[in-house]
Parts: sequence; C-alpha cells; structure tokens
Amino acid sequence: MFRLLRNKYFWTIVFIVIISLSIMRMTAVPRQEVTVVENIIRDIYSPLQKWTGNIRGNWGGMSYVFSEKRSLIERIEILEDKNKQLSIDNQLLREYQSEAVRLKKLLEFKEANINNYTLVEAVVIARSPSNWYKTIVIDRGKNQGVYYGMPVITPEGLVGKVMQVNNNTAEVNLLTDREMAVGVILQRTRETNGLVEGLGDGNLLRMGNIPYYSSVEVNDRVITSGLSTTYPKGIDVGTISKISREPSGLLLTAEVKPVVDFDRLEEVMVIIDYIPITESDEVEQE
Amino acid sequence: MIRYVILALLPFMAIFFQSTLFSFYSIRGTIPDLVLMFVVFFALINGERPGTIYGFLCGLLEDLYMGRLIGLNALSKAIVGYSLGKMQGNVFKENMLVGFLGVLAGTFINSLVMLILFVLVSGSSAIENDFLIKTLFQCLYNLLLSVPIYFWYYNSSHNGLLKA
Repeated sequence: MFRLLRNKYFWTIVFIVIISLSIMRMTAVPRQEVTVVENIIRDIYSPLQKWTGNIRGNWGGMSYVFSEKRSLIERIEILEDKNKQLSIDNQLLREYQSEAVRLKKLLEFKEANINNYTLVEAVVIARSPSNWYKTIVIDRGKNQGVYYGMPVITPEGLVGKVMQVNNNTAEVNLLTDREMAVGVILQRTRETNGLVEGLGDGNLLRMGNIPYYSSVEVNDRVITSGLSTTYPKGIDVGTISKISREPSGLLLTAEVKPVVDFDRLEEVMVIIDYIPITESDEVEQE
Repeated sequence: MIRYVILALLPFMAIFFQSTLFSFYSIRGTIPDLVLMFVVFFALINGERPGTIYGFLCGLLEDLYMGRLIGLNALSKAIVGYSLGKMQGNVFKENMLVGFLGVLAGTFINSLVMLILFVLVSGSSAIENDFLIKTLFQCLYNLLLSVPIYFWYYNSSHNGLLKA
C-alpha cells in the first residue's frame, strides 16, 4: 500500500482523475457562453471546415453532371408531375390561408406565424466528431446575428437549436441529441401536449407522457406547440410511427419519425428574431 | 521537436477528419474514433505514463472542441492510455495484430468509461439507447482503419518522424 503511494505513476493518474472530474463538474451545467479556449479552438477549425465544405459542394456538382442522362430525364418527369400536384395543393392551401387570415382578424387572434420571421440561411460545414453527441456546425455566428438558443429549421421542419456560438460559426444541437426536448402537439386533433425527446441515436425521436385516453394514431403529424421559450408554434417535427403503452399503464409512449433527414443536412435556416409569447402577451389576448 | 509537433497535429487532424469527412460518410450514424486510435498506438509503444498523459491531452482537445461536458473524453482516454500502456512490455509490437487488438480493447474500455461517466453526470437515460450496437459499429469502423494506421505509426515510431 505505502509502496503504491510512493509510485510517481500513481500520483500522475490520481492528478488526472481529479482534474478531469472537477472540470466535468464545473461544465455539467448548461452554459450560454463558451470559454476563451473553446472559442480559439473553434476559430482554428472553422476555416478548414468551411474549405472542405466548399470542396464537397463542388465535387457533388461535378458528379451530378457526369451522372447518366436517362436518370436525369426520369427525374425531371417525376419532378414535373410532383410540381403539378403541388401547385394544385398550393391553390387549395392559399384559399385556406386567406380564410384563416380572415377568421383570425375577426377573432383578433395574435399568433406567431412562421412567415413572419427573419431567416438566416446557413451551410452545414461539420458534424459532431463524437458518436455521443448529435450536432452540426453551421457557417454563421455572432457576426451574422446568430445567438444562443435560436431555433434552426429547414423547409421540411425543425432541426434543433443553437447551443454554442463563435464569431463566424455556431453549433446546433439536433433534435436527435439526447439533451434535446421540444414541446409538441398533434396537428390533427390539436390535443396531447407532449414532449418529443432525442434518443442520441440515428433518426428516431420519442414522444412521452401521452395520457392513455389520447386519440393518438400512427401517421399523425407532430408539430411544435409553441409552449416553450425556444421554438415558434406550428413547425413540423415528424410523424408518429409506433405507439406503445408504458409499464404503469397510464401513459403512452410513441416513436416519432422526424421529417428532417438528420444524416443528410446540407443547408439550414436560423430564425433570428423569434420572441416567445410571454405570459403578459397571453393575458392581453384574453 | 518535430516529433512533438506531429504528436500534437495527429489528434488535431483526427478531430478535423471526424467532424467533416467521416461524419458525412458514417456507417449507420457511427463514425470512427481516430483520436482514440492514436492514443492506443502511442500508449502501446511508449508505455503507461506517457500514454496516460497523451490520452488526457488528446481527450481534452476533443472536449474543448465539442464544448459540452469538458473532462469526459479527457478522463476516458487517459484511462485507455493507462490500460494499453500497461501492456507495453508484454506484447510484440511489430505484430500488426497488436494494433488491431489494442484498438478493439481501447474502443470497449473507452465506451464503458464514457457510459459510466454519462450515467453519473446525467442520470440513467444513456443506457436505454442501443449502446452496445453503437459500440460494435464503432469497433468495426475503428478496426477497419486500425491496421493501415498502425502499420504507418509503428514504422514511423521506429524509423520515421515519430522516433523518440
């Protein structure tokens, strides 16, 4: 035992363990500001990552040119068909929209709408180098008006939120990250205020705390509820893919398939001017 | 001098490649851990004390880059460096299988320590995920890369730039 205490290897290891555990303890709480050291390291990496992002983009473009002509023609046909269908849908939706706007005016409804926000486009330049975290790095930072906590979306739906900001880059936690949770409702029934959580894994989310009497069904669309300080209301999150009962029997859990393909994100948009509806606003509405 | 520069550049470049190249070509969402590989090889060749310190510093760089729970990778990689460094005198390092088995052991030790630390810090939610499957996939990816990288690393530490 005493021989162990005199061993200098032993003390190196004890020192390293104590140092690591104490830094972990200090950084275990969510931090809005990153330290100077982290900032410097990020700033060293960001130009390199931007550069590879560009190369990758060019390479993708080149391979597209060389790909077979026939498959391109087929693609165009499919897209044309889809386009026709979408323009018909669009007409219908525009009609509904004008109707909704009229009714809302009538009710003097004060609601946040996704069209009202300022979006900043950003390119994904890197991803998490670890399997434990699900994050992306985008090429917009403090200098472009991106700050901690801003929601990030794509035309398909919700991607996540900004968790770390440097001068010219920002790190976005994806919905699939295990530290993420979003307040949601079901689009069809407008009921079930639930919480969608990331599993830290692949392309799957989990919606918990659904009461057993809920009318939730497979293929129901899940959208953000707006009952949070981070995400505006009505952004697509995913569709319910599987429902199961929790062991207690009182609650249901559902698997949610996200609308966004997190493995293939290339461009995203940051909502830079979302101001959450606060309690005082809600009182005014009433 | 040049040896130290390269030893510092290796984890730096590893993080760069993990965050760009490999993350865009991941296998089922899993990417290889090149930093871990360099820690394993360094420890196998240089022994437990240098291995522990190198593992700690490489892990710390990774933690500072990711900016979440700082110390997590530092501690797990220091433990990997220590355990693999213990084997230094007992294995034939010229055998390429040593690099292969070292990475296999290193990946499992690293994942296990990370899991324990995660559970201690953030509750039990980490275990329910398919931790084992993820570790297996990462192992496969790591092992695939381990043989050529160990070949280069071993030769470089004896006749090349990494020679002490």
